Amino acid sequence: MKKLLCRMLVLLMIWTPYQVAQAGMIGTDQVVQTASADRSAVLNFVSRADVADQLSAMGLDPATAKDRVAAMTDEEVRYIAGKINAMPAGADAAGILLLLIIVAVIWWAWKR
Amino acid sequence: MSGCAGLFPQTASLRDGLPEGLPQQVELKSVPFFPQDEYQCGPAALATTLAATGVKVTPTQLVPQVYLPERKGSLQVEMLAAARRHGRVSYLLAPRFEDLLREVAAGNPVIVLQDQAPLGSWHYAVAVGYDYDEGDLILRSGETERQVLSFPAHEFMWRRSGYWAMVAMPPDRIPATAEEGRWLSAIAALERAGGAAAARVAYNSFLKRWPDNTGAAIGLANTHHAAGDLAAAEGVLREAARRSPGSVIVLNNLAQTLSDQGRHEEALPFIDRAKAAGGPYAAAVEETRQSILKRMKK
Repeated sequence: MKKLLCRMLVLLMIWTPYQVAQAGMIGTDQVVQTASADRSAVLNFVSRADVADQLSAMGLDPATAKDRVAAMTDEEVRYIAGKINAMPAGADAAGILLLLIIVAVIWWAWKR
Repeated sequence: MSGCAGLFPQTASLRDGLPEGLPQQVELKSVPFFPQDEYQCGPAALATTLAATGVKVTPTQLVPQVYLPERKGSLQVEMLAAARRHGRVSYLLAPRFEDLLREVAAGNPVIVLQDQAPLGSWHYAVAVGYDYDEGDLILRSGETERQVLSFPAHEFMWRRSGYWAMVAMPPDRIPATAEEGRWLSAIAALERAGGAAAARVAYNSFLKRWPDNTGAAIGLANTHHAAGDLAAAEGVLREAARRSPGSVIVLNNLAQTLSDQGRHEEALPFIDRAKAAGGPYAAAVEETRQSILKRMKK
């Protein structure tokens, strides 16, 4: 019960800033999105909350996670929901020495 | 030869000839360099491209916006999203080597995602130049200010990310390789992320290039409406309604904008036309109509 309450609160907190379109105006994202236009808006809010949860679980504080999700499109949110662990995360500096070897090895492909 | 060309197919076709309109060599020397700290090539690469377009930002400031501690790295989606928070339009390039060169030649540094496995792992670098005769790409990468990578070496590492590449554009400019529909979506994404003022500039540039695009007109009007400039929103929507009289969204938003200015009588015929057209926005249209009728009763 408590958990459910928490969940609802998080949803409410998430909901507010995403209400970007003014009352009565149909938003530009409705024009450009590829998915069906009458898809339930609630679904989007839920997946935003999910992604924010997942980002928090990766070491972000909830407010930061929320801000980061706010900068994503609905499509991007759907794309990464549930897959954050499996996606490429650019990280390392180049392993320069080995890199140089590779470069040398395939150099001829351009030069012949 | 042919066996190896399979490893870097785009390099092989580039070698057949320099694509039309591209200079032999380019180097964007003024693009700044931020050497990365451990694991933080995402913030460093993003800061490089943002700073190149005049945003005052350092990698350290971007860490809380793109770095994911548990993954010790940055996700592609977040690279795109974070640039919007700085008023830039993020655009994912088509997965073509030629497009990468075209953007660089147009003066736009390009963030690329390379897979350095089995050496290391995923890595963001920023392409800032090339020399076609030598077959070299020039990058800001990791701790190297001017890394020179042969085309095949780059393609070898780049293709595993599906040739992932992005630019972060100032709102008044359009990428050299922009496709109309995807560029519009990119601007709408900025608008949605809270960058309405920057998006307004971008929609204006967009409409200069593609004046018949109704979606961009709707976006422009929405940014005017959000800023409280109802007269400007009305002007844009009237022009859009003239060009595409059947657009339900244009009719709905025009009716709403008129009603917001207290001109409910004028709004009614437009919302009635929108209602008669039906379609996927019927529920939103009906809502607008009811709210206009309610206002009229007051």
